[in-house]
Amino acid sequence: MITTLVGNYPKVPSLTDGPNLRTAITRYDQKRITAEEMARVADDATRDAIGEQARAGLDLLTDGHIRWEDEVTYFSRGLSGVSLNGLLRFFDTNTYYRQPIVSGALAWQKPVTVRDYTFAVEHSQKPLKAVLPGPLTLACHVQDNHYKDFKKLTFAAAEALNAEATALQAAGASFIQWNEPTLVRAKEHFAVFQELAKIVTRGITVKTALYTYFGDISGLYPQFLGLPFQVLGLDFVMGEANFGLLKGFPQEKELGFGIVDARNTKLEIVEELVGHLDGLRATVSLDRVYLNPNCGLEFLPRKNAYEKLERIVAAAARAKEVLL
Amino acid sequence: MTKGLLTTSVGSFPKPDYLLRARNQFAAGKLPARELEELEKRATKEWIDFQEEIGIDILVDGEQYRGDMATYFAELMDGFTISGLVRSYGNRYYRKPIAVGPVARRGPMTLEMWKYAQGLTGRPVKGMLTGPYTMADWSFNEYYPTREAFIMDLARAVHEEALDLERAGATYIQIDEPALSTRPEEMELGSRALGIVTQGLSAHTITHICYGDFAKVFQHLVTLPVDQLDLELANSNYQLLDYFRKARFEKAIGLGVIDVHNHLVEQVEEVKRGIKQALQVLKPHQIYVDPDCGLKTRSVEEAQAKLRVMVQANREVKRELGIE
Ligand SMILES: [Zn+2]
Repeated sequence: MITTLVGNYPKVPSLTDGPNLRTAITRYDQKRITAEEMARVADDATRDAIGEQARAGLDLLTDGHIRWEDEVTYFSRGLSGVSLNGLLRFFDTNTYYRQPIVSGALAWQKPVTVRDYTFAVEHSQKPLKAVLPGPLTLACHVQDNHYKDFKKLTFAAAEALNAEATALQAAGASFIQWNEPTLVRAKEHFAVFQELAKIVTRGITVKTALYTYFGDISGLYPQFLGLPFQVLGLDFVMGEANFGLLKGFPQEKELGFGIVDARNTKLEIVEELVGHLDGLRATVSLDRVYLNPNCGLEFLPRKNAYEKLERIVAAAARAKEVLL
Repeated sequence: MTKGLLTTSVGSFPKPDYLLRARNQFAAGKLPARELEELEKRATKEWIDFQEEIGIDILVDGEQYRGDMATYFAELMDGFTISGLVRSYGNRYYRKPIAVGPVARRGPMTLEMWKYAQGLTGRPVKGMLTGPYTMADWSFNEYYPTREAFIMDLARAVHEEALDLERAGATYIQIDEPALSTRPEEMELGSRALGIVTQGLSAHTITHICYGDFAKVFQHLVTLPVDQLDLELANSNYQLLDYFRKARFEKAIGLGVIDVHNHLVEQVEEVKRGIKQALQVLKPHQIYVDPDCGLKTRSVEEAQAKLRVMVQANREVKRELGIE
């Protein structure tokens, strides 16, 4: 059993002791510090986020997505054909993203996240995974003024994400993940997604993961379990129905068990988490489980996010004692 | 002569620089509360004077003393603590309420500021409250076993505040529910809570809704227990009006004609077109002309320019159509 997170980690410390990314961004926007100074603070904040994950005892880390404005903008604006528009609400969260406008061919030109990933790896004692937006989530959050054809837009997004994954693989990434909340919120796109899944994973020989959250896979089961990713991440907090949809979980696949609520500060009780893991054993053996929050931790203040990681690590340790 | 097309605002206005500086100083412990309050009152008076000067019919106090619309109330209530920083978007952070016990009103929350603002003008000033559904949805919850129990306690507290405002003479009371349209499956619950807030009030009640999937929630919206639905029309090119064309609708709507997310100031002609489009579907007395949402994210200059355009466009439409 491996403890991990789903993607982002809070960027600014609750107290004022860490690298002050927030102040740096304000100063950078006001042109009071240079791009190099800005980059240095972002790197410091990345190291800080990695350090905290490691300190909590997590097995598999991420770079915390410190440079990401939100779940779609950062990657989108690295592509050609994209400009940025106003703010829109991200699902039912009280967080907002800047909507990318696609006004030309959406194409990958150069790596967007590779430098962030390699920097993080260099500064981590623990293994790291690379986490990208999913093609459907990306396509459904842009305003398309170019393709005027949803399927074509999604294919372009998938090709761009495959190019990015290929670059990450070449840079040494051994685990590449796509985050795809839209798939469980707009299930009518599942058939298209099956094609997108083939595109994003084409030529990727390292471990791949697809994480869904903010909902369950009812209606997509059992086909969902056949998607071409080695790890399938599901949300068991906002998607309780997922508990009943694990029967026949393929032997060769692993499960991302999103059981800790990343959208509420209330702390889970370790024994209850162990109880869930115990129940899970009937369908998925624990050596094929990633224990993680249900979604990115940035919905929480830094301090609370850290406490959630501690609970995850404690639950995994306790489960290994009593269940394995 | 037909009557109608009154102008108003959704609630928040940008804070002048001197107030922003003072709030920072106050947060850093370098400014006494009394001095901050003086500056809040000064800014409130400036906005009241501005609204009178350009000829707005129903005024707002501009919420110069509020930060986040949920946290502001939570800080004044029992049962809440306030979280560390969480990100709203980009480099914007705020603190969220955390319910840690039964939530209840300690005493009047907005009454004093409302009385102050109303004392500055002969025109009606709206009472402005954050609705129970939005308060709950934008808080962390560590206490209540169900969302319903949390929302209903909040509804009772907001109702008490509305009663106080009405007793003090408020003739328009707005209960903001921007979170309500995000979950169609909870519209019934949100509506029930709003019913508790507005029960027995004789003031004209309004609810402001934004960012939703209106196709899914429209049938619930029209039955919400308020006299006026305040909606954003400008940023969707007035497409929402189609829904009103199809259904018989007797209540009033707050017709958002100013896009609050855009720096560009609207053209008078464009706003006039929007108002005239609405007049094809609704009667003049049903229409209250206002911006799409709170203007607090714009600069003072942008907000004032936008409001001037709104008032002028409305004045011209009234003159052309002989509306009093
Ligand atoms: Zn709004």
